[in-house]
Amino acid sequence: MEILVADRLIKDFGGLRVLNEASLTVTEGTITGLVGPNGSGKTTFFNVLYGLLKPDGGSIHFRGEPITGLPPYRIYRKGMALGFQIPRLISRLTVLDNLLLAVRQEDGTGLGTALFARRHWQEKEKGLTYKAREILELVELAPLALKPAGELSGGQRKLLEIGRALMADPVMLLLDEPAAGVNPVLGRKIYATLERLQREKGLTFLVIEHRLEMLLDFAHYVYLMDAGRIVLAGKPAEVIAHPDFYTIYAGESYQWLS
Amino acid sequence: MDPLFYIADTLVFAGIFALLTLSLNLEYGFTGLGNFGKVAFFMAGAYTYAVMASAHMPCYLCLIGAGLAAGLIGFLITFPVLRLREDYLAIVTLSFGEILRITIKAQEGIAGGVQGIVVPGAFAPFTDSVRLLALANIGLVLFCLLFTFLLVQLLTHSPYGRILRGIREDETAMQAIGKNTVIYKAGALATGSVIAGVAGGLFAQYISFIDPYMFLPLVTFFVWIMLILGGPGNNWGALLGGLTVELINRGTRIAKDYLSLPVDPNNLQFILFGMLIILFLLYRPQGLLPEGPVKTAARKEVLRWRSSLPTGS
Ligand SMILES: Nc1ncnc2c1ncn2[C@@H]1O[C@H](COP(=O)(O)OP(=O)(O)O)[C@@H](O)[C@H]1O
Ligand SMILES: [Mg+2]
Repeated sequence: MEILVADRLIKDFGGLRVLNEASLTVTEGTITGLVGPNGSGKTTFFNVLYGLLKPDGGSIHFRGEPITGLPPYRIYRKGMALGFQIPRLISRLTVLDNLLLAVRQEDGTGLGTALFARRHWQEKEKGLTYKAREILELVELAPLALKPAGELSGGQRKLLEIGRALMADPVMLLLDEPAAGVNPVLGRKIYATLERLQREKGLTFLVIEHRLEMLLDFAHYVYLMDAGRIVLAGKPAEVIAHPDFYTIYAGESYQWLS
Repeated sequence: MDPLFYIADTLVFAGIFALLTLSLNLEYGFTGLGNFGKVAFFMAGAYTYAVMASAHMPCYLCLIGAGLAAGLIGFLITFPVLRLREDYLAIVTLSFGEILRITIKAQEGIAGGVQGIVVPGAFAPFTDSVRLLALANIGLVLFCLLFTFLLVQLLTHSPYGRILRGIREDETAMQAIGKNTVIYKAGALATGSVIAGVAGGLFAQYISFIDPYMFLPLVTFFVWIMLILGGPGNNWGALLGGLTVELINRGTRIAKDYLSLPVDPNNLQFILFGMLIILFLLYRPQGLLPEGPVKTAARKEVLRWRSSLPTGS
C-alpha cells in the first residue's frame, strides 16, 4: 500500500528549476531512503512534500488524499511529521516544552480552553510527561528534560528534533539526515530505533541519508536524486550496484577526482 | 495639598501604564509581535468609554465596551498583515496610531474633534468627598490591573502561552508541528488590544476630559520603555517596569525644580529614559526580571521524576 505519492513535482527558484518533475512513491510501513549529491534538491523536495514550499507543478497524495499546496500545520494534523536538516528547536524553552509543543491535539492550546478548562488540561499534561519521558529515554535526553533546548549540543539538538517529530504519534516521518552531526555509534542507534518503530508500530519513514552503509543496513527502498529529478530507484543493494550510481552520487566531486 | 491626591494620581497612572505594559508584553514579550501603535488602541478605548459614558451607561459597561471596541479594531487592522513579514505589522500599527489621532482631530463631529470631549466620572454621582473619589479611583484601577494580571498569568503559563513563545522564536517550526500561527498571532493582538482599550477607558474616566493631543506616539514609546526595563516575557517584570518608569517620570518632574542643569530641565526625563533604554538593551536585554519557564503541571511532574534519575543534573 502506498502512503505517499508525489507526482512530477516542479519547483523553481527564480530561473533555477530545483525540482524537475520529481516523482516518488513511499510504501506504508517501510524505511525509504533518498540520496543524491549536494544541491540535487533533496531538502527542497521535503519542503514541497511538507507544504513549507508551494510546488509550481505536480501533485502530492498522502494516504489517498490530495495534500498539494496545504500548509504544513494541516499536513501535520493528517499524521505526517518533518525533522529538519538543521534542527529548529525553540531554544529558550525547555527540552520538555519542545516535546509538549508537538502534541497533535493538546488540550489548553486555545485561548478559551487555556483559561477555562485549566484543571482538565493540567491533568492531561501530567499524563503527557510520561510519553515525553519515554521518547526522551529513547533519544537519551531524559536527564536534560528541564534544560533550555538552546543549551544542547549539536548532536543532542538533532536527537530532540527527531523526538519532537515522534511526539505527535505520526504515521509517517520525513527525516532530513537524521544521523548527521551525531557520533557514528549513536547514528546507528538512531537508525536501529527507527527500524524498531517501523517494525513494532508500523511507522513509515522517508529519510535523506548520505551514508550508504546506513541505507544498505536499514532502508527497504532507495531513490537516487540528481538535478531535481529521480534517476534511479530500487532496493538499496541494487541501486548502489548500478553502474551509473557512483558517477551520479559523487556528482561533481567524482569528475574532479577522475 | 493633601498627599493622598498625589499618591492616588501616581497609583492610577502607574496602574494604567502597567495595564498597557502587560498588553504589550503579551504581544511582544511572549509572541514577538512588534506593536508600535499601542496608543491607538488605548485611544480607541478612551473614546469609546467617553462616548458610552456620555450616553449615561454604567461604568462597567463602558469599560467592557472600551475593551471590545479596541479589541475589534486591533483584530481588523492587524489580521490582514499577519501573513506577511513582521515589518509590515510594525508599519501598520505605527501609522494607524497617527491616522486615528489625526482623523479625530480633524472631525468636529466625532467625539468633539480637536475640542476634546468631557467624560462623566463614574463615582461623581455617589459622593461629594474628593478623598473618597480618589480612593474609588485607586480601587477601580487596581481591580482592573489585578484581574488582567491574573488573566495574562494564566494565559501565559498554559499550553497556549507555550505556543506563543514558540511562535516568537520560530514561526516556521511551529507551523511544522501543527500550529496555525496566524490564529495565535491574531489572538494575542486582539487580547492585547482589549487590555489596552480597558486601560484607555480607565484613563478617560479618571481624567474626565480627553482630546487628541493626549494620544501622541510618546505614549507608545513610554510603554516600550516600561517593558524593556521591566523584562519582556515576564508579567511581574511588566508590572515592575510600569511602576518604576512612572515613579522616575514623576521624580524627574519634581527634581527638575531643584536642579540647575546645563540643559533644559524639561528634557531631563527624556535624557534619562534614552540613556536607560540604551544601557538596558546593551547590558541587560532580559530586563529587571528575566523571563522564567512555562509553569504547568508537566514541569512539576518532571521535577518529581527527574530527581529519581541516576544522572539527574
Ligand atoms: N530558498 C531558495 N532560494 C533559491 N535557491 C534555493 C533555495 N533553496 C535551495 N535552493 C537551491 O536549490 C538547490 C537544491 O538545494 P537543496 O534542496 O537544499 O539540495 P540538497 O538538500 O539536495 O543538498 C541548490 O542549488 C540550492 O542552492
Ligand atoms: Mg539538504
